[in-house]
Amino acid sequence: MSTRRRNQAFLAACVLAAVVLIAFLAIPLVALVTSVAPGRLPGLLTSPQTLDAVRVTAEANLVADALILLFGTPAAYLIARRSFAGRRALVTLIELPLVLPPAVAGIALIVAFGPNGPFGGALASAGLAIPFTEVAVVLAVTFVAAPFYLRSAISAFAAIDGHCLDAARTLGAGRFRVFRRIALPLSAEGLRSGWALAFARGVGEFGATLVFAGSVAGVTQTLPLAVYAELPVSLDSAIAIGILLLAVSAAILLLSKLPHLWTDSKSQSATSSAI
Amino acid sequence: MKTGVAAFLAVLAAGVLGACGSNDTLTVYGASSLKQVLPKFDASPTYSFAGSDVLAQQIENGAPADLFAAASPEYPKLLAAKRICETPVPFASNTLVIIVPSGSTGINSLSDLEVGPSRRLAVGATAVPIGNYTREALASSGAGTVLTRNTVSDEQDAAGIVSKVALGSADAGIAYVTDAKSSDGRVRAVALPASAQPVVTYMACVVVRDGANTTAAKDYLTKLTGPDGQAALKAAGFGPAPSK
Repeated sequence: MSTRRRNQAFLAACVLAAVVLIAFLAIPLVALVTSVAPGRLPGLLTSPQTLDAVRVTAEANLVADALILLFGTPAAYLIARRSFAGRRALVTLIELPLVLPPAVAGIALIVAFGPNGPFGGALASAGLAIPFTEVAVVLAVTFVAAPFYLRSAISAFAAIDGHCLDAARTLGAGRFRVFRRIALPLSAEGLRSGWALAFARGVGEFGATLVFAGSVAGVTQTLPLAVYAELPVSLDSAIAIGILLLAVSAAILLLSKLPHLWTDSKSQSATSSAI
Repeated sequence: MKTGVAAFLAVLAAGVLGACGSNDTLTVYGASSLKQVLPKFDASPTYSFAGSDVLAQQIENGAPADLFAAASPEYPKLLAAKRICETPVPFASNTLVIIVPSGSTGINSLSDLEVGPSRRLAVGATAVPIGNYTREALASSGAGTVLTRNTVSDEQDAAGIVSKVALGSADAGIAYVTDAKSSDGRVRAVALPASAQPVVTYMACVVVRDGANTTAAKDYLTKLTGPDGQAALKAAGFGPAPSK
């Protein structure tokens, strides 16, 4: 086989692999969206239970995302720009919730913050119980979604050329000013995509919420939990909520990429010409 | 289109499961509450445990079950009416109890849930058998307020109820006595008033489909309703099948 033929065969194999995988990823999504007539969606999505679930999901995720940005951004900046002993171990710790099965995350949260746990016990004796409240949903969402933001934010801050920050400092800018005027704008894209992933993951959060927060209608029953609750009752309602969740996730991911959606970024086009 | 999706999933599941066992292995679909006892009674079949409603749906869509052991008469009768399984046979009964964390002392009867502070309860959702039995029991003992004055998490199966109580996120739950027994001592059972006790009959039926291992399924069912099966069920906390 000539080199040229081999090259073509390799390229064809890559194309085939891509087509198969993309079809595999897309077919279930298309099947989901087309399995309920669009005209029926408004009716299926406006039951009081679903509207409650929309409210709970929105509230819990807004609070969780505010917490993730508020605590995650400075934490990521610190971890990315400082070298200290145990840094790698710390980053691994942050990544652990990403690979933890959500049900295990839920159990871990109960053991820590449930009435029998070290933190929950103190709260419970003060008359505050976290399980079965919206606070539990916020904690579950924050726990599983924060690592997505942290990971992305740490890489974004770490990728900034240190000379830019040093130059600003020598020109007299304070730490906060350097952070706000240099570091944040330079890492904006990484922060935005990390936030989008975290938000999308949080909206879809199921396992940890179910185990830790329970499925209390109007209080802890988020949209993914409503899907699970509707499954034995009405498959159509479950699918309708599924479509809603898919649309929300797609919107979040698309919005985060909006400026660059149809233009190939420079690094990507460099890769594509190398094949 | 809905049935199209379901049929597609069922075919997929059937294909995956069918590839795992040859034709002569017996496949038993059992209600979640039987998960502890059936493999102990007979380890040879391939088991699949889930909510009876879910299993019935799968069998209706062609899943490769040979025997269906359900936690209620409803689903086997439904399948029998559609000629997907033979006449259902009762093989056990179960009892509903309140479960509380083994260390807790505040709840000692149903009436404790009708007074005092609002508590966190884990009960079955309305769509699943345990949820139906729970609502039936509360209604018949005039304790309907239990579900409105407390904070209630609707669980899709007994596992959800027991785990919430065992881990302490719920103060109490309503589950089968057999679930309380199989919780490693993490939960304690509190009896419901006898007047509130619903009749929870477990029924099994031999599945009718092409290629079903009918002989083995019938043998299994005979053994299950015989002395060996009844002894195993009794040891797990089940009661005998109601005589009628």
